[in-house]
Amino acid sequence: MTSERSNVKFEAVREFDLKRMRHYLNGTQTVLHCHHYASLFTQLACDAKHLNGPALLSEAAAETLYPILKDYYINNHIMEFSDRISIAEQYFAFIGLGNIRFEFAPERGTAILRHSHIDEGWLKKWGANTERVNFIGEGFIRAASVAIFDLRIDAEITIKETQSIVMGASRSKFEIKWRGHYAG
Amino acid sequence: MLDRVKAIEDFSKIRVEVNSLGLIPAFGVMIQNLPSGFWNRFSRKILDAAGEDLFDATEALLENAAAECGYHTGYGIMTSDEFEAVLGPHIKDDKQGLLHGLYAVFCAWGWADAEIVELVPFEKMIVHAYDYYESDIDSNERHFAYMIKGISRAFMDLAFSEPYPNGLGGYSCVQTKGIEKGDDYGEFIVKPANPID
Repeated sequence: MTSERSNVKFEAVREFDLKRMRHYLNGTQTVLHCHHYASLFTQLACDAKHLNGPALLSEAAAETLYPILKDYYINNHIMEFSDRISIAEQYFAFIGLGNIRFEFAPERGTAILRHSHIDEGWLKKWGANTERVNFIGEGFIRAASVAIFDLRIDAEITIKETQSIVMGASRSKFEIKWRGHYAG
Repeated sequence: MLDRVKAIEDFSKIRVEVNSLGLIPAFGVMIQNLPSGFWNRFSRKILDAAGEDLFDATEALLENAAAECGYHTGYGIMTSDEFEAVLGPHIKDDKQGLLHGLYAVFCAWGWADAEIVELVPFEKMIVHAYDYYESDIDSNERHFAYMIKGISRAFMDLAFSEPYPNGLGGYSCVQTKGIEKGDDYGEFIVKPANPID
């Protein structure tokens, strides 16, 4: 179940409401922000570890991005897993979060990021870090996994970042599993 | 005098495009185009988790994130060819025009429908925001426009503080009205952070 077999193209309809000064991508309001903003939100989450800040940041991303992917699949009749995976990868890039590649097997998977806005933005702002920082990416991976396989948003999915660009790796790697199976 | 609507329309047509790496480098920074609801959702979650003890500190960090965003991105924008193309070559020498231009970008980027309603160079700026995504959330009867606050004081720094990159922090911003609290518009008053009596 990879995206290599899919030629489906992510279709983006962008609108700007000049009356309300709001941007929309496929009907969802979006806003342009820079890596300083994302890095400082991430730093705030890291500083608030005692309040589960990283988990809250990941949750916020997952809860926001899941319905967008789900609605896209429904509205565009994207039913094949390989097509869904490809759309998720293209959407991730389209909104500037980087280059992501999913590989899934039953109840497990991996996500490889060759480029990451969050990691590379952090590197640009502060340099390398001793801990991972891509909680927004983690939330996206959760949202995509749930949407691709029609899981419940509160499904027990474990996502573990095992390599991280911000920590010096050439690419970031996330291992995904649910129902007790590890990605291999 | 800036034709605000035309400037906003012109700026909104400047496309920031993703490159082959899935990244959006523009104006000296890296940009992303996430749903506005994501920023609101995390802000709400972290403020709820902070509770009363850490509420003020968390609010300050949310505002600071926006201030740094506004300062660095704002500088990249105001020194860009696109900015000069829309507003004319004279804009670099016109601090008030520059600020009005930055608020046209503010609108065009989807941050808010906001404009300067009063400006006293170096001393004071009042901004009104008639529509903004930070008002879309249940604010628990508190002002919630940390992004507008941070970016507004950063823009004032770009116009009237020490030259970039040493000017951030020269101004502070207070939100005095908010749509999220039932007002017709948001009001933001920017003044020197450490005024000389």
